Amino acid sequence: MLSTLELKRTPFHERTSRLSVTQNWRRWAGHIVLGSYELSLEHEYWAIRDGAALIDVSPLMKYMIEGPDAARLLHKVTTRDILKMPVGQVYYTGWCDDEGKLLDDGTVARMDEQRFRMTSAEPSLRWLAMNAVGLDVKVTEVTDRMAALSLQGPKSRAVLNRCCAEPLDKLKYFRLTNTSIGNIPVSVSRTGYTGDLGFEIWMDAEQALPVWDRLMAAGGDYGITPCGILAMDMARVEAGLFMLDVDYTAATHAWIDGQKSSPLEMGLDWAVNLDKKGYFVGRRALEREKREGSAWKLMGLEIAWEGLERLYADVGLPPQIPAMAVRGSLPVMHEGKQVGYASTSTWSPVLKKYIALAHLQRPHYEPGTSLTMEVTVEHHRRQAPAKVVKLPFYEPAWKKK
Amino acid sequence: MSANHYDAIIIGAGHNGLIAGAYLARAGKKVVILERRPIVGGAAVTEEIFPGYRFTEFSYVVSLLRPEIIRDLELPRHGLKILPLPSTVTPMDNGDYLASWSDHDQTRREIYRHAPRDAEAADEYSRVMARAAKAIKPVLSLVPPDPSSMSVRDMLGLLKLGKYAKSLSEKELYRIAKLVTQSSADLLNEWFEFDPLKGTKSASGIIGTFLGPHSPGTAYVLLHHYMGEIDGAFRAWGFAKNGTGGVTAAIAASARAIGAEIRTNAAVKQVIVKGGRAAGVALENGDELHAKVVMSAADPKRSFLQFVESKHFPDEFTQQIKNFRVRGSSGKVNIALSELPQFTCLPGESPLHRGAISISPSIDYIERAYDEAKYGQFSKQPYIDMIIPSMIDRDMAPPGHHVMSCFVQYAPYDIDGGWDDAKRDAFGETVISTIERYAPNIRRAIVGKQVITPKDIERIAGITGGNIFHGELLLHQLFFLRPAPQWADFRTPLPGYYFGASGAHPGGGVMGAAGKLAAHEVLKDWR
Amino acid sequence: MANHDVIVIGAGLNGLVAANYLAKAGKRALVLERRAIPGGQAVTESVGGGFQVNALHAGGQLRPDIVSDLELERHGLPTSVSEPLVSILPDGRQLRLAADSDEQTLASIGTLSKRDAEQWPAFVAFMNEAAAFLDAAYRTPMPRLPNVSLKEGWPLAQLALKLRRLGPKDMFRVIRAMPMSALELTEEWFESDALRAAVGAVAIHGATLGPMSAGSGYTLMHNWLNRGGPGHRRVEGGVGRIADALVAALKSRGGEVRLSADVKTVLVENQSVLGVRLKSGEEIAATTVVSAADPRHSLIGLVGAVELPPEFVWATQSIKMRGAVAKVHLLTDGNHGLPKGTLVIAPSIRYAERAYDAAKYGEMSKEPYLEITTAGSVVSLHVQFAPYALRQGNWEQLRPVLERTAVDIAARAFPQLKSSIRQTKSLTPLDLERTYGLTEGDLNHGQLILDQMFFMRPIPGWSNHKTPIDGYYLCGSGIHGGGGISGAAGRNAASAILKAK
Repeated sequence: MLSTLELKRTPFHERTSRLSVTQNWRRWAGHIVLGSYELSLEHEYWAIRDGAALIDVSPLMKYMIEGPDAARLLHKVTTRDILKMPVGQVYYTGWCDDEGKLLDDGTVARMDEQRFRMTSAEPSLRWLAMNAVGLDVKVTEVTDRMAALSLQGPKSRAVLNRCCAEPLDKLKYFRLTNTSIGNIPVSVSRTGYTGDLGFEIWMDAEQALPVWDRLMAAGGDYGITPCGILAMDMARVEAGLFMLDVDYTAATHAWIDGQKSSPLEMGLDWAVNLDKKGYFVGRRALEREKREGSAWKLMGLEIAWEGLERLYADVGLPPQIPAMAVRGSLPVMHEGKQVGYASTSTWSPVLKKYIALAHLQRPHYEPGTSLTMEVTVEHHRRQAPAKVVKLPFYEPAWKKK
Repeated sequence: MSANHYDAIIIGAGHNGLIAGAYLARAGKKVVILERRPIVGGAAVTEEIFPGYRFTEFSYVVSLLRPEIIRDLELPRHGLKILPLPSTVTPMDNGDYLASWSDHDQTRREIYRHAPRDAEAADEYSRVMARAAKAIKPVLSLVPPDPSSMSVRDMLGLLKLGKYAKSLSEKELYRIAKLVTQSSADLLNEWFEFDPLKGTKSASGIIGTFLGPHSPGTAYVLLHHYMGEIDGAFRAWGFAKNGTGGVTAAIAASARAIGAEIRTNAAVKQVIVKGGRAAGVALENGDELHAKVVMSAADPKRSFLQFVESKHFPDEFTQQIKNFRVRGSSGKVNIALSELPQFTCLPGESPLHRGAISISPSIDYIERAYDEAKYGQFSKQPYIDMIIPSMIDRDMAPPGHHVMSCFVQYAPYDIDGGWDDAKRDAFGETVISTIERYAPNIRRAIVGKQVITPKDIERIAGITGGNIFHGELLLHQLFFLRPAPQWADFRTPLPGYYFGASGAHPGGGVMGAAGKLAAHEVLKDWR
Repeated sequence: MANHDVIVIGAGLNGLVAANYLAKAGKRALVLERRAIPGGQAVTESVGGGFQVNALHAGGQLRPDIVSDLELERHGLPTSVSEPLVSILPDGRQLRLAADSDEQTLASIGTLSKRDAEQWPAFVAFMNEAAAFLDAAYRTPMPRLPNVSLKEGWPLAQLALKLRRLGPKDMFRVIRAMPMSALELTEEWFESDALRAAVGAVAIHGATLGPMSAGSGYTLMHNWLNRGGPGHRRVEGGVGRIADALVAALKSRGGEVRLSADVKTVLVENQSVLGVRLKSGEEIAATTVVSAADPRHSLIGLVGAVELPPEFVWATQSIKMRGAVAKVHLLTDGNHGLPKGTLVIAPSIRYAERAYDAAKYGEMSKEPYLEITTAGSVVSLHVQFAPYALRQGNWEQLRPVLERTAVDIAARAFPQLKSSIRQTKSLTPLDLERTYGLTEGDLNHGQLILDQMFFMRPIPGWSNHKTPIDGYYLCGSGIHGGGGISGAAGRNAASAILKAK
């Protein structure tokens, strides 16, 4: 077999493959990663919400952006004010084409004055290079060279404090520090994709396994649990975090304009710094959208449990809920007319609610609006009552503390 | 009606003729399809040139055949199977290779290995091309309106076209405008850096044309090859079970089942004209067949300069057909093999053998190959597109043995001094020695070979000039200019005489659209 | 407070024409020119060595409507005369081609082919018709597609109507001619290869195309339009006098031309123009700035990619420039033995095509196509193909090769030439870029190829003289209407700017 015909394995493959009972492999950016380790997602999910969950996120695309104009490049590409970004800060941001439609989203971390690390879901080397014309900046893809682990959950700080060279008590939300785990240099950011207390640990791929081992050893007393991406998928919906190709289509992938979304439509108003100085890609279109209001908004949708129960009861069934997040589009209606669609829906084990991320048309995106969402009950399409809510659905007090 | 009286006579049992005949029969017409050769298929034939080895003689891959034709004529019931041709591998001069596999992640990883930025560009490029193909595709199934005409039908056609153009986004519209006018070299240089990738992609832009990748207009040909569609999935290429002869056999079977008659060994001498209308045909053997309507599925030159006396056409039309470019530029070498060719870049039996293997190391390589042809020589280092049909369809060769189909460019029809046996041999030898550089065992493995020059395509398949598209896909020979201005609607200046082949809109490839559209126009005019 | 309503960057003919039209409409126009003389490509000057030459173009004319609109004759515009094109054949015969199909021309063609001589007047009539259509197209603003307003669409509809009024036969001929190669086009008219080649030479003049290249049918129409026939239009006193007249006219309208004023940067804030900064550091404010430089330099060079949308930057970078023209000027003792006229060395289609082949691979043609003009004792050789981007070596190393090759080829036809040479001064494509500011040495600011014409010139979506920077416009040869000496792009730009106000 040609090696290039295989999907890539992450630097943690040797560990993760042995720990998984399910061998439930999923494709992620040309890699295989575990969807789950155990036969039921529950244990992994609750590790995120009540313990410490260790998730291999190495397939994230990673880039180093270095040089005198590094900040200018990212200032032009992203919607955040990178020129004013302090060293040690991490920003979550989307980036757009010049029509102000999202291409991708990820994080930008300022390592020092002229050095940034950027993550993305899709390959971004070409887009960065196209934007770097005339700038003194070097962009290097480090996806394969750099391994990444996400340690999420209320106990994650305690676990890291046990094995990092310095305690992380002072590391603030969306900040970054350089430290080491068992003499292996790592950078740790207080970030994640779960909406809980959590950290992401970035290291040289060559030294990935000893870091994994140290974390697992240090976390033993806290019930550290290797966690697959399916449990994370449930948590991220609760946290109101969306996903490329599931909750929105990159403007470059869209066949038609209707498939594109702007960051304002995705609810990222807070991450679009229209007051920042100078040109950035999509600026004019976003200014216009801000002025005129967005035609769509990504909002939370809470399905009214009683209503759902009744739909099932009508045919003599107890309510049935999928065991994991559903990535299929479901029509959302208002008085019999479609006004949007839910892109991901899931049962929230912590909230005990059936929730969904939904794209809603103006004016139906105001919180409190009553709508209905399609559910299939015993082969029949039915409408379950639902209410529009602000995102996130779940935000524990310790997330940002 | 007596035996030799029909509603419609179709000249030529190539895929377009068969399709047109089948559609007319389906509409209840009494149809006969006349073929000068003993077998049907035209340029889509499979023949057992060496016992046990079956060659898909001329055309060799399928992707452009319109799915609605497959459905309408129930071709799968008549034996049509299109097997996947999942990859393209380009052997490189440094012993490495560049592959494009059917899986996106695999291809991305493969290109990334050579040129990281090109891997991303390739993704974006294929999306852009797919969108352009999608946008331009409806135009292919349209009867081109005549922009000089004031008739209601043409005006409505133009209006419809304008409306369609307006429905496209600005980006799509400009992308198409660019693609239609650009050279494939310019297009690819905008996107990519890696020579073998550019070379291989540019090759689709020159197939069947007498142009090099630096010639404006070749980007359109490249897009033309992107229109392929199998099972609704854009851009997939396939190999028909039993070769492309399997496709025409299925269409012929379907046509017969619907009630069309197919006569082989029935070469047409002339179209009979009575009272200013086509009224039948006279065969070379002296027989006369009569019909309300005659349709030619031969190439434009034979259809208008040979079958019909010039006095039936306006001089201007005859002149335009004379000016129609049909310069053949490609040849074929079909090889029977006792063993698989071993490519040094991928030793042993590998996935490469199940797909296309392309000798196209760079755009310059192909352009230089064109330069030679421009000055009347066949390329000494030609572009070659190979497939091994026996690896896809095991019925093509005896067990353990193989057949290989090599499409070669450039081999000009008008070679200096004209084609003869010595030149054909030299051409075949050039192809073998080119392949030998990448697969050293090829010579040893040869059981037999068939070398086909454009002259041979003309002689065997009856295509004037030996151009595989019956006429080059040049900008000035497309849409409302194909085959001649004002006569792109499948009608001709001779009432009752229709034209439905690759030389008509929307052009060549085993597509069938021309045959189908022409049959529809015949039915529209039926009184 | 700015003293000017409009700044025009570059005192080439298009810049000066635009400034004149703006001044005529009452705008205070300031033209900034980096060189010490106006004219851009249309200059008559010493290229070193002390003798005066038409440095880049042997002749030229502005569109007649510009001449009359701007009353240029009153301001000293010299007269110009159409010269015949004379193709020098290997056996010493001269094929003479004039647009008015005079007896000499017909006799000359007749020695090659009687049939071709009979065809010539009809061919000229067709070319004139095609050129007239192109002229109309060049004055028709090309709006952004696909949402064209009725107001914008009207001129386009008129253009289409004009095309239809030619009647089906000629309409299709014109449409077909554009994407054709010059060879295909001439094959439909003539049987003589030498005649096809001579016409083919007109098609490839200034373009990086061969007579077998698709689209050289269009460049033939384009050059035919600008020349008014196959040969050049010789300007009495040199092409530089056209610019002199434009400068005089501009001054009379209250405009100003500042020479040796090299614009380094176009000042921009939030996608709006603020003015310009000169090399000297001086800043000049203006709410409208018009650049007559080539689009790539105007945008990537003067504005800077960082201020522009990435897709736009990519498209601008992808503009095909690839100049492949060099000039060799010879000061002779007068005994060069050359006749008057536009002399061409392109004896066969294959000769010209082979000359072009070299350019594809970044090499100088071993046997280039030459166009030779004389002005007294000065002999000027226009040499193709000499590609800007060389695969091997650089233009300083290749300069002697260029000079030797060009003179050798010319001397084959005119043996006296060599001994008459006193001084040789050449302009390589690199000189065209450095001295004349032509990016990649492209005389046309972007190749005249099908995918860079009409609403795709300079790049798709931006053929309306606008840029992504508010108040910043383009008026040079790289825009629709442009390419060659005609002033059409400058005229069109002024009208677009005045409409936008």
